[in-house]
Formats: sequence, structure tokens, C-alpha cells
Amino acid sequence: MLSYILRRLVATLPVMAIVALFVFSLLYIAPGDPAVVIAGDQASPEDVERIRQSLGLDRPFLIQFGSWVWRILHGDLGTSIFTNLPVSTLIGQRLGPTLSLMVITLLLTIVVAVPLGVVAAWKAGSFIDRAIMGFAVFGFSLPVFVVGYMLAYIFALQLEWLPVQGYTPLNQGFWPWLENLILPAIALGCVYIALVARITRAAMLEVLQQDYIRTARAKGLGQGGILFIHALKNAAVPIVTVIGIGIALLIGGAVVTESVFAIPGLGRLTIDAILRRDYPVIQGIVLLFSFVYVLVNLMIDVTYTLVDPRIRY
Amino acid sequence: MDRRSVLKGLAGASGLALTGGLSAPAIAQGAAARTLRFVPQANLANFDPIWGTQYVVRNAAAMVWDTLYGIDSSFQPQRQMVESEEVTDDGTTWTFKLRPGLKFHDGEPVRSKDVVASLDRWAARDPMGLMLKAIQQELTAVDDRTFKWVLKQPYPKMLFALGKNNSPCAFIMPERIAQTDPFKQISDYVGSGPLKFVKGEWVPGAKAVFEKFTDYVPRQEKPSWLAGGKQVMIDRVEWVIMPDPATAAAALQNGEVDWWENPIADLVPVLKNNKNISVDIGDPLGNIGSFRMNFLYPPFNNVKARRAVLMALSQEDYMRSIVGDDNSLWKALPSFFTPDTPLYTELGGDILKGKRDLNAAKKLLAESGYSGEPVTCLVAQDQPITKAMGDVTADLLKKLGMNVDFVATDWGTVGARRALKTPPGQGGWNMFHTWHAGADCVNPAPYTAIRANGDKAWFGWPTSEATEKEVTSWFEAKNLDEEKAAIGRLNKAAMDDVVYAPTGFFLSYTAWRKNVSGVAKGPVPLFWGVSKSA
Repeated sequence: MLSYILRRLVATLPVMAIVALFVFSLLYIAPGDPAVVIAGDQASPEDVERIRQSLGLDRPFLIQFGSWVWRILHGDLGTSIFTNLPVSTLIGQRLGPTLSLMVITLLLTIVVAVPLGVVAAWKAGSFIDRAIMGFAVFGFSLPVFVVGYMLAYIFALQLEWLPVQGYTPLNQGFWPWLENLILPAIALGCVYIALVARITRAAMLEVLQQDYIRTARAKGLGQGGILFIHALKNAAVPIVTVIGIGIALLIGGAVVTESVFAIPGLGRLTIDAILRRDYPVIQGIVLLFSFVYVLVNLMIDVTYTLVDPRIRY
Repeated sequence: MDRRSVLKGLAGASGLALTGGLSAPAIAQGAAARTLRFVPQANLANFDPIWGTQYVVRNAAAMVWDTLYGIDSSFQPQRQMVESEEVTDDGTTWTFKLRPGLKFHDGEPVRSKDVVASLDRWAARDPMGLMLKAIQQELTAVDDRTFKWVLKQPYPKMLFALGKNNSPCAFIMPERIAQTDPFKQISDYVGSGPLKFVKGEWVPGAKAVFEKFTDYVPRQEKPSWLAGGKQVMIDRVEWVIMPDPATAAAALQNGEVDWWENPIADLVPVLKNNKNISVDIGDPLGNIGSFRMNFLYPPFNNVKARRAVLMALSQEDYMRSIVGDDNSLWKALPSFFTPDTPLYTELGGDILKGKRDLNAAKKLLAESGYSGEPVTCLVAQDQPITKAMGDVTADLLKKLGMNVDFVATDWGTVGARRALKTPPGQGGWNMFHTWHAGADCVNPAPYTAIRANGDKAWFGWPTSEATEKEVTSWFEAKNLDEEKAAIGRLNKAAMDDVVYAPTGFFLSYTAWRKNVSGVAKGPVPLFWGVSKSA
């Protein structure tokens, strides 16, 4: 297993390199110019050109790419064109909020969606099943920003229970950290709760029709034991897969959520960097996201072996 | 006890167990009252007011770096860091003496050599600075508090240049920082202004923090815009960057922020209905909407085509697309200059007045030789103001019978494309939309957009010798009457040749919690004189 994990991690490098080359090329040919944004609306074309030169943006593609790769090989993600701060510092500043949001959302998803899916499967065809699946369709259909605004209006503005925006690091207290994340996690989690609940229901329905479940029922095992010990464990592979994919998708979902709730996370950093054509930051984030995607897939594969001992690598 | 307190208590108790005793530091009411949380108009993505000239950078810089002079609300430059100045009778030698006791945030005194280095860097980037540099004989430090600027010819607008508030302002930095190439960004943010920048807490795109500089010695005069005594009443100003206006509005209503620089028009009624919030016009000098036509290519290389557009456009349509139904927020503007300022004139602006004559405009367009070629109209749709104006223009051009190639994209792309001088079919353009801060349109000195010197002019590269002649006349004017006469002629010449199309004058609101007092109107958000109660 260890050698498998190591092989997978090493295989990450060419994937990241290809993604990096692709993104670098895409940015190079895309319209837009960071020098224009830096220079401001009233700048002269000469000013813009001087700024381009000072940033090295006038150099040929291969030289720019080569210089970037060289820095990466030396562990340097480069410096933001706009802030003059190291990309690693900018990513470091934003990692905490995004990770926090993802963890809370993921916990919320697992805690809410899996039991809902199990209950829906258990009561398949009943009113409870239809209500849960109706909720799932609703959660799946509503855009994150609509849910976000609704939650902020009700729970922040009307009831004044929770703040509208912002992020407080965990080292400044658990509640200040958590209270900023509850509404964004619910907004972001709606889609994933719906998705995981539906997958859980489908997987459980299939398992509940198996002979060993019938046997378990016949020998008088309680409903809870059948559902959560025998059935859920055997239905876990697709559920783990969708939760794992969900982690990767959360990164994308965080972009909107972080804007709506003014959370200074990686999603906002990405959008800001793209709009400003801050190439080093975009490249750094893409590398990080590529690595996370590969890592999440690896974790899913490893988890398979835990939930289903028949799977071996 | 309200529900939120209960939730806090519950989560606090459970959190204590989970984090091994980490808890929120109690923020005393007094401390909270001494911190002002401000939502600026945009993200403070960089912090060099010479390298990047966005308004948001200028606004932050005005807190951290001081200027030798400051423009007051009557548009007059007043002494700020300077104690006295002398100019020789022939107007060529200026000798300035700095106020005693000026200090930088690192404790070092402000010396003349710092001023000389700062003015050198500024002059390399600023239009007025470039003019000064072109006639400069020498700029030298005489002693620690005295410096001398010797020119080859008089420059009557010297004090205005040193005090003007449009970017880039002549901010004074320590010599070691000011020696940075003006086209490279500084990374040390030490100034001598009333507030210090806390670099360690800067999260670009999210937060910028400024602390009161306790060694700052304010002038004794009453504050007025960037002039007078800058008395800071709060300990700390936190800029909270919020990309979403709805979130900013909710945060202001909820008391999570104290002051929102520029609420969008759609949300102003909500804020006005909140008894805890004050809403008022922020910058009385407002903004001038504009679109520019490219003088290099058909159809707008022909003055008749440009005039046809001017003749047909309805400024009311443009302004309503930006401010909605609030009539107090806009004015028709048959002028290139900011209304209610000393040099404002409508001379030559008749083409923008009265009922719009579409038929006459169509006839004039036909006379220009327009034969249906596509008109490439660039619009930055990520900026609501330009998007709204672009939609109105597309409709206008279609009514005129023009073939519109409407290119709606992001600002980064528009900004890059508008700099291209190639034909519209080969990546160039025919028109783009923007707006100018009213503070930049009070006279020709800071007004890049009014210049019409062809290749050297702003995007669109207008050529109008008559306009340029009157710009020079204004610079050479010796008194207000001469200035007014020159501006009248300038406005007429620029209107005749349609240097650009003014789409109207509009104002924006600013909003703050009622426990904040001392918010003053001005072209820059002014933090001195502002206080906050618990």
C-alpha cells in the first residue's frame, strides 16, 4: 500500500507539469494585460508599455515559461505582479479560510446527507422518502448565491443570530471561527447534501435488496443494525466516491460562497487574480488545485480498501 | 439574553473542549469604538501610489503619505508639509521650507533630500511632473528643511501640481523608498501621514489596516479635503474588502462595518430606510460619464460622424441607466468640466442641449460618408457603470442606422484592447466607455482625457489643434479671469471637434452607521475628523 501511495504521489508531478503548461499557454494567448490594470484608467500607452517591460511581460513565451519553471524547481512560486508579495504568502493567507469552509461543509454534508439517504432508502416510496428527495431536488436546483443571500437575510439581518460576512482564524476562538462559517457552509453544503443523499439512497436501495440483508432481517436483527452496520458499510463505495469528488468540487463552489460571505479564501484570490491577469498567482493556485485533486483521488482509492477489504492494490 | 448569545455560549463551551482552551479575546467596547471598519470602493491590490494610479490606491496613500500642499474645498492649494515658500520675481526659482518636527513612521525626520527624491519619482510619472521636469534646471536640497526648484521658465501652476489630489499625487516618502524606479513597485510603506500602514496585517483582496501615527503633528487650520489639520480621532482603520455590494449592505445594516464608501444606487433605498444608517453624497465633485471615439479609423475619423453621435445622444438615457430614478444624482452636462466648480463653462455645448434630433443626426452621418461598416464598441461588463452606458450606446448607434459590433468583455481585456492602434477589424476598436472623477475635470492640469494632441493623447488619440492651443492658454493664464476665458474657448473647441462624448454628470452616495461622526464630503474618503462611539 505504501509503495502504491508513493507511486501515485510521484505520478502527480507530470500531471501538474502538464496542467501548468496548459494554463501558462492559455493565459499567454488570452486577451487582457495586467500592465493596463496596474497603470490605471488614466495612464498613457507609454506608461503601460514601461510597466510591461518592468514586469517582463514583453519577453517571449518560452523565456517567460522557462523562467517560471526554473523558479518552481527551486521551490519558488514567484511573486504577485500586483501585490509584490510572494505567491506562497498569498496562498498561505487564504488557505485557512478555504480549508475551514471545506471542513465544516464536508462535516455538515456527511452528518446530514448520509442519514437522510439511509432513511429515504429505508422508507422508500413513503411520504418521508418523497419529502427527503424533494428537499434534495430543491437543494440541488438553487444556486449557491441565492441560498447564501436568503440565509444572510434571515439569520443575520432579521434574527441577528449570525454575522453576514468575514472570517476569524481558529486561534482567535472557536465560536468566532465557527459563527462566520455556519451560513456559508450551509449555502455551499446544500448542493452536496442533496447529491450525497441521493447517491446514498440509491446505493442503499441496491444493498437492501441483497440476500444477506434478508437473512439479517430473518434472524431478527434490529433495523438500526441492518441499516447502519450491514447495509451502509456495503453501500459505502459509491458514497465515498461522491463525497471525495465533492471535496474537489467544493473548491469551485467556494468561489461564489466566499464572495457572497466576504470570506478571504482561495476562491476569491483566484477570481481576483484572473480578473487582474495576475499570472504568477493564477499559476500557483492552479498547481495547488491540481495537487489537491490528485490527492483527493488518492484518498478515495485508499478509503476503498478500508470500507471494502476485497479491494487491494 | 438573545438567541445569538445562547448560541455563542453553547458553541463557546463546546469549542473550549475542542480547542484545548482557545477562546476569543474579549474586545472591550472602547477598543471596538476606536476601530473604524471601512468598505472601500475596490480592492487595495497594491500599495504604491506612483507605480499604480488607481483611485483606491490614492485614497489609501492619502492616509499614509503626506503632501507638500493640499487642495482644499475651494480648489486652492494650501500649505501642508511646507511652512513657507518663496518665488523669485521672474517665477523661475522656488524655495520651499518644510515645517519643523515632521517625522516618518519609522521615527526618522523628514528631510529635504527625501522630498527631492520623492518629487523626482513622482515627476517621472505625472503629466504635470513631466511638464516641470521638461523645464527643470535643478531640484536640490539646500539644507535639511529647505529645498530649491530652479526652472528654465515660469510655471504658474507649481503649487497646484504639488498639492493636486488626482493620481499620481506628489506624496513624500523617505529617500530610500523614493529612489525606487518609478516603473517598479515599492515594498516599504513608510510615510509621514496621519496613519501608519500595518503591512503585517495586509491581506490583499480582503483587509488593509492603518493605525494612528501618534507622532504626527497636524496643522492648526481647520481641515478641508487634503488641506488643513488632519486630526485623527480613532486608533485604527480597517479596510474590509467586499466584492459583493449586497454583502456590504447587509454588513453595514448588521453593524459589522461602519462606513461603506460607495453603495450602489439599487441598494441605497434599503440603507436609507435603516434608522441606524446615514446616507449622503460622498464626493460633491461626482463623475463625468464618457465614451471615446477612435479618431484613427472610419467612421469616427470624420468629425461629422462624431458630431452626429453627439447630436443624437440623450444624456438622460445614460444617466438613468446608471442612477435609476433618483433625479438628485445626475445632471445634464453640456460641458467637459465639473459642474459647480470655478472654471465650469457650457460655452460651445449647445449640441448636447435641447430635444434630440435623430433625423438631423442621420443626415450628418450620411454626409460623413458612413457606409455601414461595423462599429466596434468595447464595453467592460464587469463594471456596472460602463456596461449600462454601453447598452445605451448600442441602442443609440442602431437608431442612427449604424452596424454595431458590440464587444462586452472584462475590464482587463477592454483596457488592453483600447491601447491598440490597429484597425478595428484587426483587433482595434471604434469606441469604448469609461468615466472620469469630477475632481480630475476641474481644470486641464489633471485632465488627461481632454488632451487632443494626436498620438500623445489618451486612447482614441484625438487631434484638435484648437483644443490644445487653449490648454496651453490655461497653463499660461495669470489670473482667474484669464483661466475662465481659456476654459470657455477650450470647451467650445473640444465640443466642436468632439474630443470625447460626455454622457452626463453623476453623483454617488456614501453610507455610514450613525455612531460614526465627522464624515466629510470630498473627492477622497477623509479619515481625519472621523470618530466613533460605542
